[in-house]
Amino acid sequence: MITAGIDIGSLSTKCALMDEDQKVIGFDVVLTGGNNKAATEEVYKKALANAKLKRSDVGYVVTTGYGRENIPFADKHVSEITCHALGMHITNPEIRTILEIGGQDSKAIRVNEDGHVDNFHMNDKCAAGCGRFLEVTARAMGVELGELGGISEKSENTVKISSTCTVFAETEIVSLVAVGTAIPDIVKGVHNSIATRATSLLRAVGLSGPLGMSGGVALNSGVVKSVEEALGKEVYIVENPQVRGAIGAASIGQRLV
Amino acid sequence: MLQETIGQERQIQYQNLLNLVGDQRQDTDEDKPLLKASQMRSIINSHRMMQAYREGSRVAYVSEQFPSEIAFAFDMIPWNLESMAIMLAQSVDVDRVFKLTQEHQLSRDICSFLRGPYGMMMENCYPTPDFVLTNTQPCEGLSKVGLISGKGYKAPVLALHAPNSIDEDSLSYLVKQMEHMMSRMEEDLGIEVGPDSLKSVVEYSNQAREYYNKTVQLLRSNSLPDVSRELQEIFGMNYFGVKENARICKVLYEEAMQLAGKETSKRKRVLWIGQVPEESHEILQHMREVVDIVYWAPLWDANMMMLDEKDPLKSIAERAILYHWDAERTKVETSQICEDHEIDGFLIANVWGCRNVMGISQVLRDIANSKKLKHLTISIDLVDRNNYAFNQVKNRVDAFLELLQ
Repeated sequence: MITAGIDIGSLSTKCALMDEDQKVIGFDVVLTGGNNKAATEEVYKKALANAKLKRSDVGYVVTTGYGRENIPFADKHVSEITCHALGMHITNPEIRTILEIGGQDSKAIRVNEDGHVDNFHMNDKCAAGCGRFLEVTARAMGVELGELGGISEKSENTVKISSTCTVFAETEIVSLVAVGTAIPDIVKGVHNSIATRATSLLRAVGLSGPLGMSGGVALNSGVVKSVEEALGKEVYIVENPQVRGAIGAASIGQRLV
Repeated sequence: MLQETIGQERQIQYQNLLNLVGDQRQDTDEDKPLLKASQMRSIINSHRMMQAYREGSRVAYVSEQFPSEIAFAFDMIPWNLESMAIMLAQSVDVDRVFKLTQEHQLSRDICSFLRGPYGMMMENCYPTPDFVLTNTQPCEGLSKVGLISGKGYKAPVLALHAPNSIDEDSLSYLVKQMEHMMSRMEEDLGIEVGPDSLKSVVEYSNQAREYYNKTVQLLRSNSLPDVSRELQEIFGMNYFGVKENARICKVLYEEAMQLAGKETSKRKRVLWIGQVPEESHEILQHMREVVDIVYWAPLWDANMMMLDEKDPLKSIAERAILYHWDAERTKVETSQICEDHEIDGFLIANVWGCRNVMGISQVLRDIANSKKLKHLTISIDLVDRNNYAFNQVKNRVDAFLELLQ
């Protein structure tokens, strides 16, 4: 039976379709926008089209992410922490610690050899250190989100950016831009700021074994490099990191049917 | 202040209270009968509140775990500053109070269990006190709110300072403070409280403890979530020393006896540590669908302690020290609670700005880790909803519940 996993996040909604052999046979990503039900319909249709399947071909749907409980056709909803752990485990069973940075939260997850969550830790009080933080800071610098990784490589004199509050950081960046600070130095400072928060989470959860990264922010090579520098450890970036939660959800579906 | 003037003030304050918290949120959407003991407590609480606003009543603002026996020996109504914040939390107009505190530049980073009562005093909702009686632990911040309220109402503030260790010196230090406190109250009130008053109060306190302890015993091997909640309420009300409380405890024990063994399905047990929300709070409702919640505070050793009727002040002093969150004692005591109550996980609720829970949290997480128990620390605000978003917390709680299953 084919199962679908749909991860309805604050920034983007992801869908993955999986067959009985736990193979991903189709996926897609759309922006969530203001209507997560509409985004879910859209991404589901797109993923089905990619896999050349019809809705009736799917036997079980598991939703995850912040909007997981709003989807009427879901058979089950599961937290994204459990889903990311399984989504990573399917392709990389050697990974024991996962850093997942999504739109509005970041998580450090410790997994056991079966892909089950042993422990997790999440950011608190502010979105500093998350995807939204990158979005806000990129806007303040006038650069595209997708360009941040490449820009940060050109940094020569990295500045320190607040890691406590997104709004404080934005104010800081606006001031730095105003006095002519080189954009790559600010971008690298932003990435280091995210890495500072991430490493605290990872150490709180107990960093052990190989470390993998999932979530949309894993696509930003600058953040990955800053995390590696902060930890002195290699970070494995899984294929399609932003879809791992949806893949984990689809895998839970396979275990349940 | 003249009693007549106080009486007039209290009439206004009572109206202010009704205006502020009269419109309460929907209590609960769970359709379940209340325990008899809970119904009794609700009636007694309402009666106590009404009495506190009457002319001629003696009212003492007290902080958490203040030895209420002292207030009762003086025929005073203890007005628990922190517990009143939970009543505020249920009000639909709660924002008004917090807006007022912000207008007076009280930082939102301060625990809402302190800001709430402070705001209610600013709204002139609390009855004018005759005394403010505080203790410095476990929350010295609350003791400071007590000091501020004493200044505001021009009421004498008498504070107990509880040392950390239990030995003859520290006990005698605390006993002397209580003796001084009582003689000062006698002086100000122009009355003499003989040993018989304290004796009868201590007898009632012990009667209640006897049933309370027996109920805790039943909780160990039986799934009694409502009983656990009621113990939390009784602990929070801290009404030990009056006949009514002894009756509530007796009725609760009898109900627990009847319910014991009836619940056969063995669900996972989560120890709720830290401040506790109102019973109808969405986090509790959400968790109750999956696990049994056992509350930490009512199970502390200090709550089980019977007072020495021949030397009550010394045993009250010992209990006051036991209420201190000494790291080593907390470790031993909480480990024992885990074993006695077969706990599967900890939920540590850290209310924004509560440095006491934040301070002891690591000790508690270490206990959980050493016992291989799952644990989750959540930062929440149980009174000021501007500081909290259910969906954000729920996400963590859901993952924790999945971990437990």
